[in-house]
Parts: sequence; C-alpha cells; structure tokens
Amino acid sequence: MSSSSAVSLYLDPQIRDWVLFPITLVMILVGVLRHYVVVLLQAIPKKQSRAAIREQRALTRCQILRATSANSPIPPSFYKTISQNLSEALKAGTYLKDGPPKADTPSTAPNPLSDPAAMDGMMAGMKTQMVMMVPQMVIMGWINFFFQGFVLIKLPFPLTLGFKSMLQRGIETPDMDVRWVSSLSWYFLNFFGLNGLYRLILGGDNSADSSRDMTVSPFASMGTAQPGQPQDFTKLYKAERDNLEFAEGLYNWVGQDIDTKVLRKYGKLLPISKQ
Amino acid sequence: MSVTTALSQLANYRAHNIRASQRTFENGYRVLQKNAYQNLGDEEWTFLEQLALASIDVGRLEVADQCLQLLSEKFPDSPRVECLTGIRMEASSSPEIALKYYSELLEADSANAAIWKRKISVLRRTGKTEKTVSELCAFLDTFYTDVEGWLELGDLYAESCQYTLSLQALSHALLLAPQNPFYALQFAETAYTAGDIPLALKTFLMVVDMSDGDDSGISLAESTPLGITVRAWFGVKLCTRRLLGPSPQVQPSASGTSSPTSNNVALLDELATERLRVAYSSSAGVKGEIARGREEVFAWVA
Repeated sequence: MSSSSAVSLYLDPQIRDWVLFPITLVMILVGVLRHYVVVLLQAIPKKQSRAAIREQRALTRCQILRATSANSPIPPSFYKTISQNLSEALKAGTYLKDGPPKADTPSTAPNPLSDPAAMDGMMAGMKTQMVMMVPQMVIMGWINFFFQGFVLIKLPFPLTLGFKSMLQRGIETPDMDVRWVSSLSWYFLNFFGLNGLYRLILGGDNSADSSRDMTVSPFASMGTAQPGQPQDFTKLYKAERDNLEFAEGLYNWVGQDIDTKVLRKYGKLLPISKQ
Repeated sequence: MSVTTALSQLANYRAHNIRASQRTFENGYRVLQKNAYQNLGDEEWTFLEQLALASIDVGRLEVADQCLQLLSEKFPDSPRVECLTGIRMEASSSPEIALKYYSELLEADSANAAIWKRKISVLRRTGKTEKTVSELCAFLDTFYTDVEGWLELGDLYAESCQYTLSLQALSHALLLAPQNPFYALQFAETAYTAGDIPLALKTFLMVVDMSDGDDSGISLAESTPLGITVRAWFGVKLCTRRLLGPSPQVQPSASGTSSPTSNNVALLDELATERLRVAYSSSAGVKGEIARGREEVFAWVA
C-alpha cells in the first residue's frame, strides 16, 4: 500500500525551487550571520587582578608538586619544606584574594547574583542565547505559517516506520511512505545537521551552530565550576590540603637509590634478580 | 634571495623560536623595503614584531621605530605593542625611564606578566639585586609556572653566594620540568658549590641516568658518553673524590641526604674514571681521532 502511494505522489518542481532551497539557504545564512553577531557581541575578556590570578593558581602549585611526588625530582628536605609551606599557606588563607579570612565572619558561599563579575558572565551567556533563539523562532514561525503541511523531498533510501514522527512532523497521514519529508522536519534536519557545513565555512571554532546551545541553558553553568564563575576557594583549598598530605605519604625521591641503579645499569653491581 | 624565501625563512625562525637576529634582520629588512609585508594577511603583524625585535638586537633602531609605528597604528592599546615599545625604550633611554614606563603600565594592569618580567630584567640589569629578588619572588608567587623565572632567581641567589636559596629556587624549576637534565645538572653543580656533596653526587647520577644511552642498541658499558653526560660524569668524579678523601673534606649534608655506602662510592669512582677515559679516547663520534685535552683528563682521573 505504501509503495503505491509513493508512486502516486508527484512533487511540483516549484516546491523544490521556492520552498526546499530557500529554507536551506536561509538557515545557512542565518547561521553565518549569527556567528558574526556573536563575535561582535563577545565582550573582551576582563583583565584579572594580580591577587585573583594568584588565588586561582595556588592550586596549580600544589598540583605540580603532587604530580611527581611518587618519583619526585627533588630531595626529601626540599619536598617537605615546599609541601608544608603550601599546606600552611592554604590553611591560613594567604592565597585568598581578599587576604586571610577573619575569625568571626561566618564563611558563606559567594552569591553569584551579588558578584558583578559573575553577573557579567551570565549576561554574556544570555546574550548569545538570545541571538540564537530569536532567529530560530522566526524561521520556525515562517515555515509554519507559509509552508505548513508541505511535503518537500523524498529520501532516496527506504526507512522503517519508526522514522515517521521524525520525518513527517506537521502532516497527519498514517499511510504515507516514510521517505517523504515534511517542511517542518526538513527544518529540524537542517537545524541539527548543518554544523558540519558551518565548520567548513567558518572554521572549527564557530558559534553558528544553534543546536549545541539548545542543550545548555544560561543557568546550567552556575552549578559547575567554570572559569569566570565564582568558586569557593576556601573549600577547594581545604580539599587540596588533604591531597597534599596524601601525596607526601606517597613521596619518593628519584635519587634515593640512584647510585645502585646507575651501577647496575653499567654492570658494576649485579642485577637484582641474580643477587 | 627572493622575498618569498626570505619570508619562509622568517616564518621558520618564528615557528622554532630562533633568535638569529642578524639573519632575521637582513631577511626582514629586504621584505620591509619592498613593502612585501602588506600582502601577508594576518602574518604581517607577527612579521613586524619579529623584525622590530631583531632590529633592536642589531642596533638598527630606525627600522624598529618604523615597525613600531605600523604596529601601534594597527593596535593602539595592545599590551604586546606596549611591551615592544618598552624594549625599544630600553635600547636607547636610561633604565630609569624604562622602569617608570613599566611601572605605569603595571599600575594600569597589575597582572601583565610580560611587562612585569621586563621590569624585573631592567632591575637586574641596573644591579639592584635586592629589589630584583623581591620583585621576582612576588612574580613567581603569582605566576608559579614560569620556569625561566625560577632559573633566573636561582642564578641571582647563586650570584650573591646564597647557595641554599639558589637550590630552593632550582628545585621549583625541577618540579616544573622534571624531564630536563640541564636543570638537574645546574641543581647538582649548585649543590656541589654549596658543599652538599652527597646531594650533588646523587643529582649528578640522576643526570647521568636521564641523559645516557640512546636507542642505537649498544650496551651502555660500551657506549661513549656525549654532551651533558660527560659533564655529569666529571661531577660524579669530583664528588666521589671528595667522599673518598680524608673525612674533614666533607661537611655533613645540609639537606640531610645520606651518602651512598663506601663500597658504592668506590665503585662509582671507578665507573666515572672509566667513563671519562672512554669519553676522551676519541673525539665525539669520530673513531680514531683523539679528543682535545685527553692528556689532561687522563692525568686528572688517574
């Protein structure tokens, strides 16, 4: 039954010229335009003060120290000094941007809404969201208004019935072959599928692809630790101190038994297995 | 040489971070005179920066000024151009003027690492060691990952005979680049100078362990030590000689490093002698040719 209906359907070539191609073209152009608008809207990254950088990078110091601790290039006395100094500094909060915390003020998580820097970050996110949402809504309205229920194209390969809701959105025909694609579905296919084309036109780091933004809301980033988002460094430092202590337990100097190692290497001492 | 080859050579210098100022200047000046830089696209600006630096190096300040002029017209407020302007200023003005310029820039943006480093280098050049050290410490406290900075600090301390402090600075460089045998060698030599012989010996051996052998498949005992390894073996020999000599020659290790057993020290001494003899029996890689200074080395290790 479905095969007979496939034969019986004949699409006006004018649909191809005046609906199929325009929709695709408009979507590509809007994507390119959006890329340039986002580039224009992007605020220059704010310069951080010396103290803020120091606060952020204190953790890196600990990580660098810990990274080699199992085979550390530096001798024990040096390692212990660095490790303990860092640990004490983290405990006292020397690295905090606003200096060591006062004893009487209760430590509260920073409120992202009260910090102007964080607000800026959120506003920038919202702006890009708007640039993405508005044109997509306009295009979808345009398609819905003018081309509702249009069948635009026939896919050159057979598909199972499961694809019906994906390819024939907006047409309520239970018997039509799944290979026919409706206008609204064509819009969605373009919406999710044009990223590869944008990457060719605009390069890998483009902001034309709007389907990517659909998955993130402007507020989703608040919970996760993102650069530019407020972080509670007091807590991070506390965790890092535990890590430092742990690494100190693992510590081993690479030069501890280097003399026997080198002697074995040159055959002056017998290898371990033969001793 | 055509402009195209000159440009490709310049791009090669940029990619590999080669300073070669004289050649860079010659190539770049030819390009500049023919105005060929204008159709370079985005490369134009990096080219101008490179040429400006090279011409300051070779003392052709008027070319540098020409480049700077073009750059500052294109990027009026760029920190990179400001840094370049500062370097140009250092070339002809007194250090005080350059320092004042850098301080003003740092006041506007306290976290500008490039300017901060320039300021520290000017301070060092003017001989204000104390001020340099305190600035450099503050810099490294903020930008911990700057290996150059730590090496510079180690050098400054060593210059003022503060070997323990120098070792501490170098240990940070080691932490940041544990794979670099040259930093380890510097650490070892500083430890030796500081009189911490066991520590020096072990670090020299670390350098040997890191740098000896290649992938040629020859067993280590038969291979010829080359380059940095030879120097490390010299260090090992120096240390073992001190350790084997009469006991008052060796102070207790300041870092609490235990020296190897006397049996191992004797074996190491033997090994170092043998390695140095091998290294000096023929000059690097060429069979049969006798290395320079062979007699002296043989007499010294004997």
